[in-house]
Amino acid sequence: MFELFEHTADVGLRVRAGDLNRLFEDAAQALFSAILADPDSAKPVEEMVFNIEGTRYDDLLFDWLSELLFTFATRHVVFADFSVRVHKAGLAAIVRGEPIDPARHELGAEIKAITYHGLKVEQTADGWLAEVIVDV
Amino acid sequence: MAKQAYQGPLEQIDECCWRIPKSYKEGMQVEGRIFADDRLVKQLRDDQAPEQVANVAFLPGIQEASLAMPDIHWGYGFCIGGVCATAPDEGGVISPGGVGYDINCGVRLVRTDLGADDVRPRISQLMAALFKQIPAGVGKGGPYLFGGKELDRLLTDGTRFLETKGLATIGDVEHTEAGGRLAEADPKAVSQKAKHRGSDQCGTLGSGNHFLEVQVVDEVFDQPAAQAMGLAEGMVAVMIHSGSRGLGYQVCDDALRDLRGVPARYGIHLPDRQLACAPVESPEGQAYLAAMRAAANFAWANRQLLMWQTRECFAEFFATSWESLKMNLVYDVAHNIAKIEEHTVEGKPKRVCVHRKGATRAFPPGHPELPDRYRRTGQPVIIPGDMGRASWVLVGQPGSMERTFGTTCHGAGRLMSRGEAIRRSKGRRIDQELAAAGVIARCRSWKGLAEEQPEAYKDVSLVVDVVHRAGLAKKVARLRPIGVVKG
Repeated sequence: MFELFEHTADVGLRVRAGDLNRLFEDAAQALFSAILADPDSAKPVEEMVFNIEGTRYDDLLFDWLSELLFTFATRHVVFADFSVRVHKAGLAAIVRGEPIDPARHELGAEIKAITYHGLKVEQTADGWLAEVIVDV
Repeated sequence: MAKQAYQGPLEQIDECCWRIPKSYKEGMQVEGRIFADDRLVKQLRDDQAPEQVANVAFLPGIQEASLAMPDIHWGYGFCIGGVCATAPDEGGVISPGGVGYDINCGVRLVRTDLGADDVRPRISQLMAALFKQIPAGVGKGGPYLFGGKELDRLLTDGTRFLETKGLATIGDVEHTEAGGRLAEADPKAVSQKAKHRGSDQCGTLGSGNHFLEVQVVDEVFDQPAAQAMGLAEGMVAVMIHSGSRGLGYQVCDDALRDLRGVPARYGIHLPDRQLACAPVESPEGQAYLAAMRAAANFAWANRQLLMWQTRECFAEFFATSWESLKMNLVYDVAHNIAKIEEHTVEGKPKRVCVHRKGATRAFPPGHPELPDRYRRTGQPVIIPGDMGRASWVLVGQPGSMERTFGTTCHGAGRLMSRGEAIRRSKGRRIDQELAAAGVIARCRSWKGLAEEQPEAYKDVSLVVDVVHRAGLAKKVARLRPIGVVKG
C-alpha cells in the first residue's frame, strides 16, 4: 500500500506493508505512479532482473529506487509489476514492463533523483513503513 | 518535515537583510544572513529554509556568513537561494547539496532585431515551429548524440568544444559565464552511469520548471546597460532555462553516494546528513569538483545547442539567416554551481569556494572576468520569472562583492507544492488562461503545465526589488513572455 505526499517542490512516497518484500515492491509502484500520469498504462510485457547489494534497509531502498529510476531514464522503459525478495546481503527482483510508447504513456514529473531527506524504513506494529522524497 | 514553520530567531539588520545569530545553534561558526524585505519576510517562517541557513553555518571553513537570497525556499541540505563561501586553505569544504542535483541549471538570453509587431501576428505558428524543433519533455532525447571521446571532449571544454564543431560562435563563447568552460573538469571523474544518462540529452530542454520562452522587452530601467546588451523596449528576445539534464543529476547522486561516511572521517559533524561534504583539498572534494565542472560544461553545451536549434528555427520561420536577425547571445548565467574565486574577506584577498544554489553570480562593473562589452556596465544577470508574469535582466553591482560573494537571486521561489498546484488546476485549462493573458503555451505534459502555473510561484518582481535595493544587482529591463515551450 502506498501514497504520494506533498513535500514543497518535490514528491514524497509513503509505503506500508506487512513484510519487507511487499514494502520494496510497493515502493517501486509508488515511484512509477509519480513517473507516469496513469500508472496502469504500463504493461508487464518484458522482464528484467535486478540484484542490489546492501545490508541497511534504508540505503537498500534508496539504491533499489535509484536503479529503477536510472533504468527508466536510460533504457526508456516503464515498469508495471515488481517481485522482490529481500535477503541477507541485499535484494533480488524480477521486474516487468515495456518500452515507453509516447502514444500511451503520458509521463508526469521528471524525477531527477531519489534523496536522503527523511529517508526511513522502519518496523511498525503491523509491519513496515518506508518514506522517501524524490527530487522533481 | 520541511513544511513546519521556522521557530528560530530572525533579527532585522537593515531594510533588506535579516540575521540568524551565531548563538542560535551550538556549532554555527558564523551567523546567517537572509536578504528579504517586509513583504517577503512574512513568508520566511513558512518552511524550514531559515533552519537550513543556520545548518550551513556549521560547515568547516565557512567565511563571513551563511547567506540566502530573497527567493529562499526549502531544498536538500542547503536551501534554494543559499550561498556560502568556504576557504580551501583553511580546511574549507565543498558540498554537493550547495550546488544542487541540476548542476549548472542556468539561463541565457538571446536578443533579436524582431519587434513585437513582427512576431505577435504569427506567434501561434512560431510556437508550433519551436515546439516541433526543440526536444522537450521527461527523459526526452534529442538529435545530438555524443559518446566516447567526443563526450569526454564536450565535458572538458563545454561551449568551446561546440565552437570547434561549428555549433557555437566566438561571440557565444565570450558571452557565456566562464566562457562556457570550467577549467580542470575531468571526464574520468564522471561515472559511466552519468555519461549514459546524458548521452542523448545534450540540446534538450527537460521538463519541470525548464522552459524556452519568446519574450518582449516590456520596460527598460537603465538605458546604457540595456544598450550595451543590445536590448530595447518592444524587442523580441528568447530566454532559455535548462541545466545539465540526466548527466548532472547522476553526478550529484554519485557524489552523495561516494560521500557516505566521509564527513565523519574528516571529523566533520553535520546537523543534517544532506550537507554531506569533504574538504575541497581532499581526494573526495577534488573528485566532486572535477565531476561537477564536467557536468557544468555539459550544461553550457546544452543551452548552447538549445539556442542553436532556436536560431535555426527562427531562420527557417522568418526566411532569413539568424545572423541577419542579429540573434546574439546577451549572456548566459549558471545558478546552481560552485566556483573557486577570489574575494575580499576581512579586508584581505582570499581564495574561496563559492557555492551558489539557486543563486546567480553578479559581478560589478570593472571586474576582470567580464567580457569587453560589459566591463563598464557590469555583468548581466538573467532572472527567469514564471510563465504568466515577467522575467528580468539585471546587472551586477559593487554591493554583491561587499555583501554576498558576488551573488544575487536566481528567480522566483515556489510558493505552492506540486500537489496543491494540481488541485487548484482542476477544471481549469491553464493553457487557455495563459492565452487569454497573451501567452501561447505549448507543453508536453498537461500535468507539468499545471504544476508550473504562475500562482505556484512567488512574484519575481518582489524578489528583484530586494536585490536592487540591497545593492547586489540593478534593474536593467523587464521582459514579458508571449510564448512558452515546456517539457
